[in-house]
Amino acid sequence: MIEFQNVSFAYEKDRYVIRDLSFRIEKGESVGLIGANGAGKSTVMKLILGLLQGEGKILVDGTEVRKETLGVIRRKLGFVLQNSDNQMFMPTVYEDMIFAPLNYMMSHEEADRRVDEVLARLHLEDLKYRYNHKISGGEKRMAAIATILAMEPDAILMDEPTSALDPYNRRIVINTIRELSQTKLITSHDLDMILDTCGRVILLSGGRIAADGPAEKILKDRALLEANRMELPLSLMGRM
Amino acid sequence: MHMADALLAPAVAATMYVASGTAAGISISKLKKDDEASKLPVMAVTSALVFAGQMINYTIPGTGSSGHMCGGMLLSALLGPQAGFLSMIVILAIQCLFFADGGLMALGANCWNMAFYGCFVGYYLIWRPIMKSKWFGSDKNAQRLRIIAASIIGCVLTLQLGAFSVVLETSLSGITELPFGAFCALMQPIHLAIGLVEGLITAAVLVFVYQSRPELLQCVDPADGEGAKASLRSVVAILAAVALVVGGGLSLLASSNPDGLEWALFGNAEEGYAENMGLDEDDFGVQSSAADAAGSIQEKTSFLPDYAFPDSEAAVGTTVSGIVGSAIVAGVAVLICFAGGFFRKKQKNV
Amino acid sequence: MNKMQKALHELSEMDELAARSTPLHALHPAAKLITTIAYILVTLSFNKYDLSGLVPMVLWPVLLFQISDTDVRSCFYKLRIVLPLVMAVGLFNPFFDREIILRVGSVGVSGGVVSMITLMLKGLFCLMASFLLMATTKIDNLCAALRSMHFPSMLTSLLLLTYRYVGVMTEELAVMTEAYHLRAPGQKGIHISAWGSFLGQLLLRSMDRAQELYSSMRLRGYHQHFHFAANRPFNGRDALYAACCILFFLLLRFISISQLLGGLFVR
Repeated sequence: MIEFQNVSFAYEKDRYVIRDLSFRIEKGESVGLIGANGAGKSTVMKLILGLLQGEGKILVDGTEVRKETLGVIRRKLGFVLQNSDNQMFMPTVYEDMIFAPLNYMMSHEEADRRVDEVLARLHLEDLKYRYNHKISGGEKRMAAIATILAMEPDAILMDEPTSALDPYNRRIVINTIRELSQTKLITSHDLDMILDTCGRVILLSGGRIAADGPAEKILKDRALLEANRMELPLSLMGRM
Repeated sequence: MHMADALLAPAVAATMYVASGTAAGISISKLKKDDEASKLPVMAVTSALVFAGQMINYTIPGTGSSGHMCGGMLLSALLGPQAGFLSMIVILAIQCLFFADGGLMALGANCWNMAFYGCFVGYYLIWRPIMKSKWFGSDKNAQRLRIIAASIIGCVLTLQLGAFSVVLETSLSGITELPFGAFCALMQPIHLAIGLVEGLITAAVLVFVYQSRPELLQCVDPADGEGAKASLRSVVAILAAVALVVGGGLSLLASSNPDGLEWALFGNAEEGYAENMGLDEDDFGVQSSAADAAGSIQEKTSFLPDYAFPDSEAAVGTTVSGIVGSAIVAGVAVLICFAGGFFRKKQKNV
Repeated sequence: MNKMQKALHELSEMDELAARSTPLHALHPAAKLITTIAYILVTLSFNKYDLSGLVPMVLWPVLLFQISDTDVRSCFYKLRIVLPLVMAVGLFNPFFDREIILRVGSVGVSGGVVSMITLMLKGLFCLMASFLLMATTKIDNLCAALRSMHFPSMLTSLLLLTYRYVGVMTEELAVMTEAYHLRAPGQKGIHISAWGSFLGQLLLRSMDRAQELYSSMRLRGYHQHFHFAANRPFNGRDALYAACCILFFLLLRFISISQLLGGLFVR
């Protein structure tokens, strides 16, 4: 679904934050992208979405990410931002959810049907006509996910989906993510969440892949994690 | 400086709506030619920021009072005149709709007084010429001084124009008996002081932006002059001192020679204050034509056109009936309130 | 509470008022907008001495406050912004206009006093009218009505987008102000050394926010157009309401109800 072939990227000349990166994510896979602050996680996301252009080749569903192909590619990808306030810019949840479907030339009735379907699936029916600026942080995060699901993307990219949520809302979000059948790429420092939701983990360090493999294996490797400024997930520390 | 609805006659309010509407229309068509799509989010976030920023209290050194910022110059320096103007309109609309700051009908006038001057006059006459000039030299330091100069001159000038327009609009509406000259004498010096403070605040913010992200400012070449680092604080301090001296001088002047103002405001009408102020009342249309027209319609249609003869016996009779009638109206209003309460109670019980 | 928190409170209060459901809320926003504008225009058109003609105009807002079950107190709270300005202008009138135009018993009332009271009543009535509009109409419905009346969509989109972020920005500044004053007790405002950086910091962050916002729009296929929800169609009841109200205003404008009513009792 998503493939990086020798991709490099620098914000300033010769100061590379992504160096010669190559990996491949298959359809339906759930991949956690982890790494310390500044390891290049967000940059990878932005490169896939075509918000940044680097060197090398990035393929989404077989199509190369280029200026001309952005329309096709973005239609297949849904991106859940870390700050839901920046994602939900319309007055109401409903208007935010129909934003993408209508932009993609869908009829109003079809868009309405999708909105109701997604809201019912996530048990968020009573959020439909609420104001975005009047719903709580947890509701906002769920609404942001609903907004993306209404696009019916083939792959979903999530940036810190559980940040700043209380344990209850965090659990709701995790359960929701687990039920999604799409290809998923999730960046987070919440390694317990990654362990719960992702089968595979890519560990970035200094713009390179430090490890790539099954989540169970990488997240249990205390030495590897600590060498890359991370810690074992709480659930694997043996404290509980 | 937000005008309320009550201060405007319908004709003046409509004229100002047309004026601001034209400026908005031109701005919209200009922005549509540019990249409207990419500008909207920036405009929205910036105007939300300025809306909130207007509530910040800035302590004015050496005085107990605090200053505020209105934001017209700031917005046009960041977004350009057209986008800045539209953003200001939106800010004023939100203030009017949700906070009763300004009125629905006065919105046109408020947009003109506070947004048009700040954005268009401030940008085309002050900001752009100064930023493109070679004042103070060509290094980074000079650029900073240019920003400060443009902000202060711009804010002072646009606030003067705005205050003058408020006076003009109110006088044309025939709302106040205050002679035009005296009203100006009241408004302009106050807004000179306000403009200076606003200019300093705007300058401080813009210089901060210039130091971190010069590319965000209009008409500023980020690559211009990689010169020595200036002490911003000393520049601001010097300018603040200048502002204080000027402002203090002005207020001293006003208090040492109060009779001019006082006499203008409280002197009696028989002495012909208008001539003494060097102004002819009629020329400035203290009685607006709209009010006249409304009055003449009323004279034709009302059953008891009495007010033209204030001292006649008949008039006294009708004013009494007017008062009694008003009292009855008030009684009806109270009854409506009671009835409303009664029906609601009934509904709740059912 | 600092100023920004108060503003947030006021905003959310208006939101809640507009979200209720009463007969007035059910009317089409366009009908309410048109009648409000007509009301304000008629109110403003009264002659500055025509106090007895102006007084009956109070009936319409009073009636609407009752129908919409709106607490008049939150409206009067907003008077603190309107009245000082109107007073500042109106207070001079009694000094300049001393001609006696009205006698109550043996006390003469000058034209200046009458015009001052008229001015204040106008201020109050206009405030009540616009407050009622906003207390019974959601801002997005109002914008939808404006759009259907061919108001430029760029302005309404900008208004709604800005409105969405006014709360976010105000809250952020409220927190910053609180943090500032916790570290600078006894200071009334922002010290001059922080004049630029206080708002400047937030401004820079806001620019990044705007960029992210724009990305989030583009990623969802945004090009030029916003699709906001539309209002229900304008129906006969809305038209009837608007027509009746405007007729009532015109009636009050051209027939002095006070005089007529008073005339019944006083000869």
